[in-house]
Formats: sequence, C-alpha cells, structure tokens
Amino acid sequence: MTGEPLLSVEDLAVRFDTEDGVVHAVDGISYTVDRGQVLGLVGESGSGKSVSSMSLMGLTAGRRTTIEGRVMFEGRDLLTLPGSEVRAIRGGAISMIFQDPLSSLHPFYTIGRQLIEGVRAHQDGVSKKAARERAIEMLGLVGIPDPRGRVDAYPHEFSGGMRQRVMIAMALVNEPKLLIADEPTTALDVTVQAQILALIKRLNEELDMAVILITHDLGVVAEIADEVAVMYAGRIVEQAKPEALFEAPEHPYTWGLLRSIPRLDTPRDQELVPVAGRPPSLINRPSGCHFHTRCPYVREAHRRIDPPLEPVALGQEDHVVRCLLPHETRLELWRSLESGADAAAAGRAAGTEVTEIKA
Amino acid sequence: MRSKHLRALTLVPVLAASVAIGACGSNNASSSTSSGGTSTASSGSGSTKYASGLPASDQKKGGTLKVLSVESFQHLDPGTSYFQLDFTINFATHRALYYHKPDDSTKAIPDLADGPPQISADGKTLTVKLKSGIKYGTNDPKSPINGKEVTAADVKYAFERGLNPHIANGYESIYFPLVGGAKAKGGDIAGITTPDAHTIVFKFTKNAAATAAKALVLPLSIPVPKSVAGSMDKKNPSTYDADPTKQAFTGPYMISQYSAGKSLTLVRNPQWDGSTDSRPAYLDKMTFAIGADPNVAGQQVFASPGLLQLDTPAAPAVKKFATQKPQQITFSPLGNRWVSLNYTKPPFNNVNVRKAAIAIMDRTAMQRVRGGAAVGDVASHFLSPGIPGFDEAGGMKGEGQDYVANPSGDATVAAKYMKAAGYASGKAPGTSILMIGDNSSPAKEDALIVKDSLEKLGFKVQAKLVEHSVFYSKYCQQKAQLVKIDVCANFGWLPDFFDPYAMLYVNFSGKAIVPVNGNNPSLFNDPAVNAAMDKAATIADDTARAKAWGAIDKMLVDKAAAVPWFWDKQAGIASSNVVSVIAKWNADADLSYVSLK
Amino acid sequence: MGVLLLIISAITFLIFYALPSTDPAQLRAGRSGSPELIASIRHNLGLDKPIYVQYYRYVKGIVLHFDFGFSYQTDAPVRQQIVDRLPATISLTVGAVILWLTLAFPVGIVSAVKRRSLVDRAAMGGALLAISAPVYWLGLVALYLFSNDIGQFKIFDGAGTYVPISQNVGTWFSSLLLPWMVLAASFAAFYARLLRSSLTEVLHEDYIRTARAKGLSERTVILRHGVRAAILPLVTVLGLDIGILLGGAILTESVFNIPGIGRLAYDAIKASDYATIQGTVLFGAFFIIVANLIVDIAYAVVDPRVRY
Ligand SMILES: Nc1ncnc2c1ncn2[C@@H]1O[C@H](COP(=O)(O)OP(=O)(O)O)[C@@H](O)[C@H]1O
Ligand SMILES: [Mg+2]
Repeated sequence: MTGEPLLSVEDLAVRFDTEDGVVHAVDGISYTVDRGQVLGLVGESGSGKSVSSMSLMGLTAGRRTTIEGRVMFEGRDLLTLPGSEVRAIRGGAISMIFQDPLSSLHPFYTIGRQLIEGVRAHQDGVSKKAARERAIEMLGLVGIPDPRGRVDAYPHEFSGGMRQRVMIAMALVNEPKLLIADEPTTALDVTVQAQILALIKRLNEELDMAVILITHDLGVVAEIADEVAVMYAGRIVEQAKPEALFEAPEHPYTWGLLRSIPRLDTPRDQELVPVAGRPPSLINRPSGCHFHTRCPYVREAHRRIDPPLEPVALGQEDHVVRCLLPHETRLELWRSLESGADAAAAGRAAGTEVTEIKA
Repeated sequence: MRSKHLRALTLVPVLAASVAIGACGSNNASSSTSSGGTSTASSGSGSTKYASGLPASDQKKGGTLKVLSVESFQHLDPGTSYFQLDFTINFATHRALYYHKPDDSTKAIPDLADGPPQISADGKTLTVKLKSGIKYGTNDPKSPINGKEVTAADVKYAFERGLNPHIANGYESIYFPLVGGAKAKGGDIAGITTPDAHTIVFKFTKNAAATAAKALVLPLSIPVPKSVAGSMDKKNPSTYDADPTKQAFTGPYMISQYSAGKSLTLVRNPQWDGSTDSRPAYLDKMTFAIGADPNVAGQQVFASPGLLQLDTPAAPAVKKFATQKPQQITFSPLGNRWVSLNYTKPPFNNVNVRKAAIAIMDRTAMQRVRGGAAVGDVASHFLSPGIPGFDEAGGMKGEGQDYVANPSGDATVAAKYMKAAGYASGKAPGTSILMIGDNSSPAKEDALIVKDSLEKLGFKVQAKLVEHSVFYSKYCQQKAQLVKIDVCANFGWLPDFFDPYAMLYVNFSGKAIVPVNGNNPSLFNDPAVNAAMDKAATIADDTARAKAWGAIDKMLVDKAAAVPWFWDKQAGIASSNVVSVIAKWNADADLSYVSLK
Repeated sequence: MGVLLLIISAITFLIFYALPSTDPAQLRAGRSGSPELIASIRHNLGLDKPIYVQYYRYVKGIVLHFDFGFSYQTDAPVRQQIVDRLPATISLTVGAVILWLTLAFPVGIVSAVKRRSLVDRAAMGGALLAISAPVYWLGLVALYLFSNDIGQFKIFDGAGTYVPISQNVGTWFSSLLLPWMVLAASFAAFYARLLRSSLTEVLHEDYIRTARAKGLSERTVILRHGVRAAILPLVTVLGLDIGILLGGAILTESVFNIPGIGRLAYDAIKASDYATIQGTVLFGAFFIIVANLIVDIAYAVVDPRVRY
C-alpha cells in the first residue's frame, strides 16, 4: 500500500443547464478515499450526493452538463480519460449500486444474463459458461440462497432485499477496488437494511474494497464508515471521523440530521426533529452561508459571508466544517441540543440569538 | 333499367347509362376515320363530339389489347347480366338473335336470326328463324358441346332459365309476357315452342310481339345449351354465372380466364366462323385488369400504348384527353334525366304551372355543376340521342315550345304561364311544396338549383335531400310516398335496349304506375298519352314506330309531364395506337371492332 | 374469441341485412323489376325469412361449412373470393411491415439518442409529413413520380402489375415495391416517432444507468437495454396494424390495383354487395382479434413480467 489515496476528488463541480437556469448540483467538493476505507456521504435529498458520485465515472455526462475539477483514481484523472478507458473502469475497478434495486435491474433479462454481461464486458475471452459460473458464485457470495437455481430468474421474481443483493453481486463481479453504494438500503425495510449494510461491511473487510456509502440517514453510516462527509446544497459542510462527528458535530445542519435519527440513548419522549425549512434552490442559491435560510442561529453577517471549509479548531485538522459561528458557541449549542433542548432553549443557554425557522 | 356505373368515389358524376347515335351526326353521314371511328359531329351545346361511323374495314388484324376497368363485372351469365360492362363482354363472346352495329343503334341486324322477326297480325306471336351452321366453342376442346350447332332449343332454354329464380333475369317478364310465363320456374314454358331445330316461336298473352321483337337484342336471347347449363342452374345461385369460362360461346371470343374483381381474358373462339358474322374481330386477345384506380387508369391510358379504358374515365382524365389528345376520346350519349312534377295534386296538376316550372328551371346551371358539355347536354325533350324517335321529336333542339326554348330559365315566360294558371301576379307566393333530392355531389347541387328555380315562382320549397339509393327506394319509386311528393329532383333513366318504348312507357304511361319499384315519379297519367303509347308499342315497322314515339315525346313536352333537363354523355378513352369503336347502343367499346394500329 | 366474433357477426348482420338502405333483391332485379321478380329473388336469397332465421342460417353455414354465402354481385361464394384475395393482402402487409420496421428502427433510435439534433429534427419533421399525407394521395404521387408507365422517373412497376407470388416471384416482388414503400412510408413515420418517444423515456430509466455503470458500450446500452424495453408500445400498435391491414389496406390496394381483401370490401360496398361486405367485415374482425391474441403472447415473450 502506497501513501497515495485510491481516489482523490478535487474541487468537483457539476452544473446542469436547464430551461429554468443553471442548476449547481455539485459545487466544488473534495475528498479522498483510501484503499479499503469506507466513506459515508450524508445529506438530505437533493444535496448532490448522487450527482457527485455518478459524475466520478462520467454517468452524468451530457450535452447540458458541465463537470469541472479532477477525479484522480489510481493516478489518472477520470474526467479527462477517453471514453473507452472510462468504460473499462466503470463496472471494473469502480462499480456502483443504486437506491431502487427493482428499477435498477433490467426487467426483461434474467439476473444471470445481467451479471454475465458485466463479466464479459470487462474480462475479455471469458466463456459464457465461465462467466455464468462466476455469476453463480457471486450470487452465493452475497447470500442469495440456491444461486444455481435462481440464476435464470427475472428480477421481478426476487424480493426487494434479494434484488439489492443481486445488484451488489453485479457490482462485485469484477472485484472492484471501489464500490459506490448510492442509498443501497433506502428502499428496503429496516431488518433487510441491516442485512445489506452488514453484507457491504463484510465485503469491504473481506475483499479490502473501498466503499463510498451514500445515505441521507446518518445512523446508517455510524457503524461502518471510516470517514463521514455531510453534504448540503452541493457542498461538503462538515467532514470528520464518525466518532468525532457523532460526539461533537459542529454544523447546525449536521445537528439537524443527528436529531432526526432515533438513537438508543435519546430519551423516549424526545421528539425527532427534521431539519426545518426547505432545501434551497440550486439555481438561485442563497447568498453568504448557503445554510443561512434554515439556520436558527443565523446572524446578519452570515447572509453575506460564504464560510470556507476549515478545521473546527486548531489541532483538529481532520474535522472540518463550513460555519461562521464561533467554535465554542457551536459546542455549547450542541451540548444543549443533545440533552433534548430545542433550538430556542439551546440558543438561550449559549447566549446567542435564535431565529425561528418555518418548516 | 340496366345498371349504370357505380361511381362511389370518383369525381365523375353519376351517369345514367345508355346508348347513342351520333346526335346531329345521324343526319350528316360522317365519313369514317381510321382513328377510332370518331368524327366531329357536334352536339347541340357544342364542344364535345359523339362517336360516329366505323373505321375502314381493313384495320390491322391481331395483337393483344390491355383493357382497364375501374368497375368490376357483375354477372357474366347472359341470362343474369343487366349492366353495361357485362353487356360488353356478353356481346364479344356470344351472339344474340339480333344485334346493333356499333355505329347504328336504330337498326337491329339479324345475328343468330336468319332474317327479320315475323309478327302475327294479332301481335301475339313472334317467330324467329335461326341461321344454321353456327357452332359453339368451349375452353375445353373435349367438351361435348364444342363444335356443336346452335339450335332453337338452346334459345328456348335461355328464356326458360331466365325465369328460374336461380338466374332471375331482370327484364324477361317485362318485355316477354309469355303464355305460361307467370308460373314458370325454369322448366318448359307453353309460350315458347321450337317447331324445328332452327325455328323458335314466342306466344304472348297480349299484343306484345312488336316490342318483344325489339328486345331480342338483349343478351337474354343468347343461346344457352341445356346440356351445359342445366345442371349448374340447379344450384342456388346458378354456377353458370360465377364461372363464365364454362360457358358455351358463339361470339368471336371466349372467356378463357376470369377472376371476379381482378382479371378476365378473352381469346379467339376457334369455332367462330367470320363468314357468318359481320363483326371483324381484329384482336387476337384481350386482357382485362379490373379494379384500376380511376385517376391512375386515366394516366396510364394517356401515357402508355395498347390500352383501352372500359368504363368512364375520371374527370381530370376526360379534361386532359379532351384538350391534349382529342382524337383518343369519344363521347356517347347515355340516357336522360328529368325533374318530376306531381301530376295528381296542386300545384302541379295544372299544366300551366308545370310549363312555368319548365320555363323557370335554370338547366344550364344544372349542367354546369355536373361538369358542363363534356358530361352531357341540356335536354329539350325526353327521348335521348340515338333512340329511334329522337329526331322525330325534334332532335337536339326539340319542338321549340317557348317554355323549353331558354335553357337558362325565362322568368317572363314562366310568369305568363303562372298567370294562365290563375296566379295573377305571375307567382304563387307562399305555396309550400315538398321536393326530394340527392344529398351527394353533383346531384345535390342540381337539386338545390331546382329548389332555387322553383322558389322564383314563389313556391316555398321544402327540400329533403337523401342518399341516392334512398332517393329511389324509399321515396321516388314508392307510390305511397309519391302521392305526397311534389318534386323528385334527380330522376334519371337508362333504357334496357334501344327502343323508345323502353324509355318512355315505364316513365310516363299511367299504366306503369305501380305501388313499388315504379318509374313514373310524376304519377303522370294522361289518357291520350296512355292510348298513344299502347298503340305505338304494337308497331313493328321501324320508321312508323320511330315516328309514333317521336310524336308521343312531343305530347309529353306539350303536356309538361316533367322537366326534361339532361342527356348524359359517357366518355371513352384509349391509347393512341388503339382504334377504339364505341357501340352506341351500349355507350361502351364494341370489342369485336376494336383494333391495334 | 368465438363469442366476440359471434357478437360482431350479429351486429354487422343487423346493419347489413336488417337495416340496409337498399334492398339487395331490388338491386339485383333492376329498377323496373316486378314485385314478383323481387319476391322471387328475396326468397332465393333467403331474405324473406325472419331475421333470426336468416342469422341462424348464416352462422350455421359458417360454423358447419365455413360457408359465408354468395356474393349478390357475382354469384361467387364469398369464402372463395376472400381466400382468393388473401395472398395479395398478405403479400402487401408483410412486405410493408418489414420495410417500415426496417426504416422506423434506425430513424427512431437515432432521433431518440440524438434528441433535438439536426438529424432528429429532420427525421421527425419528415415523419410528421409522411404521417399527415393521406395514403391515397401518397400513392398517386408515388405513381406519378416513379412508376414505369406514368411516372416522371420510370423506376418501379406501376399500378395494376401485381401477379401472385405463385405465378412469378420476380414480378410479384417488383410490382409490390412501390405499394410497400407507400404503405410503409406513413407507418414507418409513425413507428419512428413512437419508438423515439418510448426510447427517450426508457433511456431515463434506472436500469439504463445501471447498464452504463457496468461499463457496457453505448451501443449495447441503447440497443440491448434501451430498445429492447422501448419496443413494448410498438408491439401493441404493430399487432393491431397488422390485423387491420390484413383486414384490407383499402386505399393502397385501390391506388395500385392490388386485388386484396381491401379492394374486395371496397367494391362490395360500392355495389351494396352485403354478403361480401359481411364476409370481409367478419374476416377483418377475425384478423384483429387474432392480432390481439398475438400481441398478448408477444407481450409475454418481450416482457417476462407478463404471465397468463
Ligand atoms: N440531469 C439533471 N438535470 C438537472 N438537474 C439535475 C439533474 N440531475 C440532478 N439534478 C439536480 O441536482 C440536484 C442534486 O441531485 P442528487 O445528486 O440526485 O441529490 P441526492 O443528494 O438526493 O442524491 C438536485 O436538485 C437535482 O434536482
Ligand atoms: Mg440520490
């Protein structure tokens, strides 16, 4: 293992030219993923998680799409690579699974065929038979019972969880170095969710495969991520190791996310509060801090000044945040919020002004 | 009445069918030309010419003609056929007792018959002698009838089977009131006997022989050997009709192949002996492509050699030929049209009101909406050009009655007759009348002109416009309806054969008024006319007969039996290397005279 | 299916036998036919029986002997006429279908993939023209332009040249080229547009993204994954169109004088030949019903989610 990360995303920006205007879906994000590492990418719907990760492999490319920045994978910039080489990486060294396992599988082809197709697209000269064996093996690996008997079944003949396993099998068939899992459990029920996550974690460990796990649910990444990035309006607003992030989150948006997941240690009577307010328009983005329209602790200056992503405090270089509030105030606010106070109470306790946010 | 062309989709107006003598051309015996026997005998209103004369008799023999037809044939069994195009085939493949030469529809020439018909003094017996030595030809050379001589028994059987419901001839009972015919169902008829193999005697229940003799030009008199058709006639319907290749042919040609609605082929009949027949039969073979698109067919005939269109070309083709290749288009008159005026009730039970109606009618406008002179001439009386008696009734000009004289409508003359009828103002303000007309072009526009014209007399015309077939079947052929109807705007007639009786009797005799399927929509019933018709029907001599019927036609105009307004014309087109000859009695090509250059 | 045909036959029977505006017996007899003659013809055609007896006889004839009665116009058995005309109609239909699908697929695919490009705009504009042009008019224009008798450019066989395939394969083929093209033109245009919109939609599906994410070539993604799913709506329409065309492509058959079922029906209608009309209607209905069944089966073949 060299010191160089497996994937290094630098200042990635993705814009869509639409009839209504330019959508700034991803606005300059940077992160790295090391071999075998799990990066959790968290944010509410529309924050740019999917677009940013699909753009890594050029899946958002189109006449009206502008992609900027660099995506260095094993020393090559995927964004400037010729099409054929990017295709070789897609489904090969990097593969992806998607949120809705039914709609993501072709309804008219057997799962075997869809897997075989993936194998043969990347491994020249593999016979159909060998590819089929490989497909069966992978189906077994992801926990499909009786894979030999099920390989010729159609997607609609599987349950949601099983379909997602098929998707994972399909993603793993070429032993990728990086798996991008875009909300792999969102469409599944809770027990199945846990199984799928456990599977991903197991494969990550057994195959030493790096994972970018995309979710809008911070709870999901808690157990398996080595690093967590929180996205808001196309940007990373906070990034840290999960322990640090769960222990001392510093962005008001992260607080909102944390307070919207049920936890074992939250008092039973405490209400789960989603982040109040509406996600901002990505065409006419808010001035200053993009979160100011939804931040209860907003101050006049925040409407003008766009905060940079910087360490929360000296010496804490691996915990970065985009917030204009003083570090101490942030700590105090979180302390009150964590113990069940609402924003107003927390503000009073921290001695800072609070603006009511309409849901 | 024979069926006419069915023209559901084409732009050409519906043509009532019939035949034509060269209108004015009949009195200037025009020289024959080699280019299809057309001459420029002009019709009354000028611009288009009628076919007349025959090409010189030394036309090139041989060759194959391709015939295009938009319409399909209907019944090729001569016992059943009752349609212009079917007649065309019948007379190329068979010989009837009598026939018309293509250029003269006024004279019936003996064909199978050996001389003119003999009519008994009481007019109840008709005797015809047959030529001997006329032989049948069949497609199957081994057929027992092949090469056998035609006998009187075969003509007898033709008439017997006509009354068989499996054949159901449409006109036998009308023109041949045979003794024992009313009960006949296909077997022997007491009224037909064959004293010897070459004599046939018809006995009628009344004095009908003179008219029946004229009707022997119809395909019913084509011999049908019982040995061939007898077993087929037991089937319902007779299979002699559906498969005409099985017929026993006497004409110059045989139907060697037929596929209904698709194709038909005529080849020479090896048993036909030209020395017994005046038909030249130049062509060796004719292939018929049935079901052509009217627009395409016209273009094809225009652009390609060796083609002849059997039925009416589309309007654009007529125009194109008339202006660019006038020597390749011929016109022949085809029946008449008139506007009925109810003779039995006010206001038209008054002769002067009827004369006023004729006077006011804008017949020129009616002609214009149909397509002008290329489509027909404004009529001045009822017999149409080419029918014996036409000239005697005044020819194209008519007798010149003042209310007929101005085809564009004459308000002054009309007012004169309205006054004579007792309407002091010259108008009948507010009198409501019921008119039935067609609801599709151009008959609809004609009906509307009739309405407008009559309204100029002050009538309030309540117009009921219906589908063409409904016009006849539900209204203007139903006596129960006709008694309430004042005007039938679109009545037309094509006689079954070229005799004035076939044209005027059913249309204007009071005796022809029947409860259903009548053809006297005016319910015209004038004792003097009835008596004259009955008498004229019994005249056998051609000249006297034509004169008598010409006089009857004049009487009908004098008594304003209806508004005569149109004599239809049918156009025929052929390629430049085709010498087309039109049989005037059928307004269609006479295939036994057509040749290739 | 039997029941459906029975209902259709009953309805058409009612329309053509019970409520005709013209009496076939009267048509046959001519305008001056005597009442006796008409009665005799009516009796002969069985039209004097009560309507339900007539219908019973008609259905019995079909069921027991596959007998559709006799044409009033030519006295030929209706069944024989239809069987006689079928090869022409099948020839026309099959050739046209092959041609229009061959045209529609590339155009539709290119238009969907290169949406709003010049190719797309040109193709769809052309398609719109072809769809809106009446077939009859298109046929005439084609003949005036390209037929070797009346055309400006004498390239193809013209109208009235059709011969059965059994007679001469070469002539059969060359005589049908122009009709195939004319018939295919309007259909191809419609199918191209249909495929374009269907494929455009499919290309936004998640499984297309999956296919791309697998690293498949764009060609494979579009043809194997996109088009495969996008043909579903075409299958339905195609089935019905084939059914309808087998019931008779009246206008094309008329312009080009191809003696098929459509021309038979057209001629029968012109001549008020009710027995033949009824026969062609039933055949048309039969084809459409069969086409529907085939569509259902084809659906199951194309889409494994559909089961019967
Ligand atoms: N092809 C596109 N054209 C225009 N806007 C798009 C397109 N794809 C995504 N977006 C917009 O980009 C934003 C980010 O979307 P996405 O990455 O899917 O969010 P999420 O974080 O829920 O995955 C959303 O506002 C979305 O509407
Ligand atoms: Mg997403």
